[in-house]
Amino acid sequence: MITPGSKYFLGLTGLGLVSAVLYCFLVNPSDLGAYALFGLFISAALIAGFSIFTSDGDTDSVAEAVEANTETTAPSFWPIVFALGGALTLLGIATNEIVFVLGLAVLVGGAVEWVIDDWAEKASADTEFNSFVRHRAIGALDYPGIAAVVLGVVAFLFSRIMLTVSKDEASIIFIIVSALIFVTGILLAAKPALRGKSTAIISVVGVLVLAVAGIASALNGERKELVKYAKEDPYSISHRECGKEAGEHYDHEANGSVSLRSGVVATIFVEDGKIRAQEVGLKRDVQAITIPRSNSTTILFRNLDSEEYRLVANLGEAKVGTTDVMEKVGTCTQLTGKNEEQALTVTIPKPSNPEAPYTLTVPGATGEIKVVVP
Amino acid sequence: MDTVSPVKSLTRRISTTVAGVAGAVVLAGCAQNAPQDTWKPKGDNAQMIYSLDKLVFPIAGIVGVLVSALAGYIFVKFRDKGQAIPAQSHGKPIVEIVLTIVPALILTVVGVFTFRTIMDLAETQDTEMIINVTGQQWWWEYDYPAQADQGITQPIITSGQLVIPEDTNVLLRETSRDVIHSFWIPALNGKKDAVPGRIHLLRMQADQPGIYAGQCTEFCGLSHANMRMEAIALSKEDFAKWVANQQKAYTPPAEGTLAKEGETTFINQCSRCHQVNGIKDANGKAIISAPDENVYSGAAPNLTTLMTRNTFAGAMFDLVNQKCRADVWDAKSEEFGAKYLAGVSEDCLNEKNLRAWLRNAPAMKPMYADPAKLEKTNGLYRGMPNLGLTEDDIDKLVAYLLTLK
Ligand code: HEC
Ligand SMILES: [Cu+2]
Repeated sequence: MITPGSKYFLGLTGLGLVSAVLYCFLVNPSDLGAYALFGLFISAALIAGFSIFTSDGDTDSVAEAVEANTETTAPSFWPIVFALGGALTLLGIATNEIVFVLGLAVLVGGAVEWVIDDWAEKASADTEFNSFVRHRAIGALDYPGIAAVVLGVVAFLFSRIMLTVSKDEASIIFIIVSALIFVTGILLAAKPALRGKSTAIISVVGVLVLAVAGIASALNGERKELVKYAKEDPYSISHRECGKEAGEHYDHEANGSVSLRSGVVATIFVEDGKIRAQEVGLKRDVQAITIPRSNSTTILFRNLDSEEYRLVANLGEAKVGTTDVMEKVGTCTQLTGKNEEQALTVTIPKPSNPEAPYTLTVPGATGEIKVVVP
Repeated sequence: MDTVSPVKSLTRRISTTVAGVAGAVVLAGCAQNAPQDTWKPKGDNAQMIYSLDKLVFPIAGIVGVLVSALAGYIFVKFRDKGQAIPAQSHGKPIVEIVLTIVPALILTVVGVFTFRTIMDLAETQDTEMIINVTGQQWWWEYDYPAQADQGITQPIITSGQLVIPEDTNVLLRETSRDVIHSFWIPALNGKKDAVPGRIHLLRMQADQPGIYAGQCTEFCGLSHANMRMEAIALSKEDFAKWVANQQKAYTPPAEGTLAKEGETTFINQCSRCHQVNGIKDANGKAIISAPDENVYSGAAPNLTTLMTRNTFAGAMFDLVNQKCRADVWDAKSEEFGAKYLAGVSEDCLNEKNLRAWLRNAPAMKPMYADPAKLEKTNGLYRGMPNLGLTEDDIDKLVAYLLTLK
């Protein structure tokens, strides 16, 4: 017998089946859409089956029983917040780290509030007391939480603006904004009458301006000097400046590699003016490190001396453009102070020549580490 | 006449099918030849996992059976028969407390042992040899850094079959050139993912000489199912012989032979992807392959000592014929080394497989190697393309490849 509750799912089952079959014929049987529709069909059928088997859990009698035992409570909007957080998190995974973090925050916040809500609802039979307990439990968290989110958003948007404008403009903006905050603060302190509505209006306008400017800046991209060498190819630019002095050309991207720590094949140390190397998984020093060909590989450089040093990877020679002139290629870290670390990421497409191997050197320090590429 | 209701006969049919499938699954557990059985450990690390399994499986099994039986009983016993809904209550504290504490205790016991095993399996203090393991669609590359104390004076590079000395703590340093793969030799240790841009460490140790099968266990695209590997453990003396052979200098085939013609064909057709260490062009200049310009992952197997392995293309196909294969796989531990080191002789070569591969590799192993569909990868292949070789070319190439030993 078809129970009232199963009707909907039976309908969905039919719809799922028909659309899945149509999809297979009209679009493509082997793509994701077909699996999704078949999934819908199977899950709807399963629920319909359960529904029939349990006679819809005999809603009437259950409703009576439940009515007798619980007091009605106010509807909660936290489940919706929680679901929104879930959606944002998933969206963030696919698109943008910031959306992901935001989603995660909403998810966790929603979950906590929901749990507390639920707990407070059942704390006693007295609704008033329950809402008081709820306030006690979560009130101390609500405001700081909201404040942290708001401040975070403000700081983030502000940083986007600062990264877009030039250095001079940035100083001016800083001066104006801090002056404004200062003046507003003095005014509010001196004339308590101004508090309340006008403060709220100023804050809302301020946040709106910040939001618009921040989003526009984020879309505009970072200012030129920050992105200039980010994607530099060691094989197209020679690094004559990888010497003892500070220089502009170095691998800017390496320190930002996601996998920095767990991706390191070897660590190169400078100690008492000498170079030594340790490979991951081996506890002793080595004279040569071996890395796979054509694969991006990260080497960590750690300076134990008080003098500043940089690590240089000498990667042989390559022809300059279409000419026959050979030029040295390689890459290097920036100068690194005492007990500091920097990473160097290299991809070497050609095996090393036993007569002229690739090397890692540190200008100003003695010794070299061979880089073997089999 | 008695009538069978349609519902009943359907139920019967379903239960027969379920019983049949369950029976087949149970029977599959009795396989005689199951080289990837995790419960037949052949090394220290796999033994640690097995010891843990022996503890956890019975516990999990008993709990699983109890819970399902109880749930089934309640489901049937209290199903809706039109009876009245009993009084609703908020549970019994004593039951709730017991049902919280008992699982917590069980999980604590399991947890302590599990964590200890995980820690032991992550130990690297006792490493005696390191090998870099690089996964790519759809084969594994192994390179051995020079390690004088292990008799490896120059780096070695090979693929498909990982050769290790017996009773030695080897540390694999895994990474990948394209997507995530996972390295798994069940008889020697658990799985470890090979992730681009990261180095993951996996211990390997084999008690005895022998051949241990494995396969990639992280879905990695079209030919994931065709991405296998084998670990070969050799006695210390045999390993030294293997190393010496891998490091010896290249000898070009004698002038005037079919193999010499094959070398020329190889240089023209294959050298752009495959490296053969020491091979020189007509002017005596060393040839350096450029897989980075032809293959998406940036690598193709190094073929310098192809015929010392007995499987190829991600350990998927036999390079030796049935008889010679059985000879190696079924060899007793003491005889295994000599048999493996013999490599692929002319009599043992599985010509059918090798020729089919050269004739049309993507037909044997599905790969993204259709020149018309390489937009996404800027014209780079994933896998080896069909090179349109003539049978004549193939004869020469087979003769040449047989010398790469
Ligand atoms: C476009 C690059 C390319 C060219 C050209 C090429 N191959 Fe390959 N070859 C590959 C790749 C990639 C693989 C690995 C495929 C796999 O295992 O999935 C491979 C695998 C092989 C293997 C198996 C090796 C092993 O150890 O598993 C053999 C043997 C082989 N190729 C022979 C040849 C010969 C002979 C030629 C010349 C006629 C040739 N290949 C040309 C890319 C190429
Ligand atoms: Cu794989």
